[in-house]
Amino acid sequence: MSGHASNNPDPKTAVLWDTEYHGHDVISTRSLGFFMYLLSDGMLFATLFAAYGVLSYQHSYFGGPTPADFVKPWYTFSQTIALFLSVLAYGMGMTALKRRSRGGLINGLLGAFVLGALFLVLDVHDVMDLAAHGITVATSGGTSAFIILTQVHAAHIFFGLLWILVMIYQVLRLGFTTDTVGRLLSLRMFWHFQAVIWVFVYIFVYLWGYMS
Amino acid sequence: MSQAHHGHQGGHGHADPILHPEVQMSSGRGYFSGFLISTLLMLIATFLVSSHAAPPFGLLLVITVCAGISIIAQIYFLLHIDISEHNIWNTVSLVAFIPLFVLTIGLTWWMFSQLYLRTMPPMPGMH
Repeated sequence: MSGHASNNPDPKTAVLWDTEYHGHDVISTRSLGFFMYLLSDGMLFATLFAAYGVLSYQHSYFGGPTPADFVKPWYTFSQTIALFLSVLAYGMGMTALKRRSRGGLINGLLGAFVLGALFLVLDVHDVMDLAAHGITVATSGGTSAFIILTQVHAAHIFFGLLWILVMIYQVLRLGFTTDTVGRLLSLRMFWHFQAVIWVFVYIFVYLWGYMS
Repeated sequence: MSQAHHGHQGGHGHADPILHPEVQMSSGRGYFSGFLISTLLMLIATFLVSSHAAPPFGLLLVITVCAGISIIAQIYFLLHIDISEHNIWNTVSLVAFIPLFVLTIGLTWWMFSQLYLRTMPPMPGMH
């Protein structure tokens, strides 16, 4: 299987086949499958972005408030920082996994959890604040599209936080098995994917909405 | 890693999961680069937008470039999408995904903008 062209093997000693069955690569198979899931999740966001795109015209707001009136760029920037730091903490936890440091991994997961929770608290506070000013999904088609899109992203963060708690428990309980390490890798993909989606949401929904 | 696991490539089948290439590709420097690049670009975009530093169309172009670069940085540094042997199928599926994503948003937006153009009474501020 491996590298016949690299050097000239001695025909007397060369091994041309594997002598044992290694099994298929469980972790790679699962993580490719999970990546496919994340891409289909990306299509869910594509439909929501499309809906926001067609419902962000002047007439979509029915004369009511538009994102230019209610988006606070620096407030939402603080959410961006919380989420990016959470993603960084998760990544650092995974480098600790590489060093077989259980403590380092748990610290990374806890950091990711706390910062992700901060993101969610800031988001919920923002939605409550909008509702207090009479801006809800019922206000207009435009605010429906805005709130649904941003809150579907927040729901991903919520389920990611639950998943982080489950992984902290499983790592403490089961240690580094093929299953737990595979799940940590899938969660890494999920969590980092949320940062990519957030860039779209932040730039094209919050900031673009604010300036138009 | 000379931990003498049987099986020539750590990470296959029943071998030690920590030696799996997807664990080993974690890199603190990579994650920090992804964080720094995307945070700086978001900072620039937020500053320009909140201070209305340019006319709207120019501003939209600049923040689109900020978003594009930070998405590429995150996909490369965080999601490890590259042409390495281990990751090539993730990269292929992402490349196949991008046209679907762009067409879903672009065609929907185009259809509705044409519809509004033909069916809505002219309003101030309509684009």
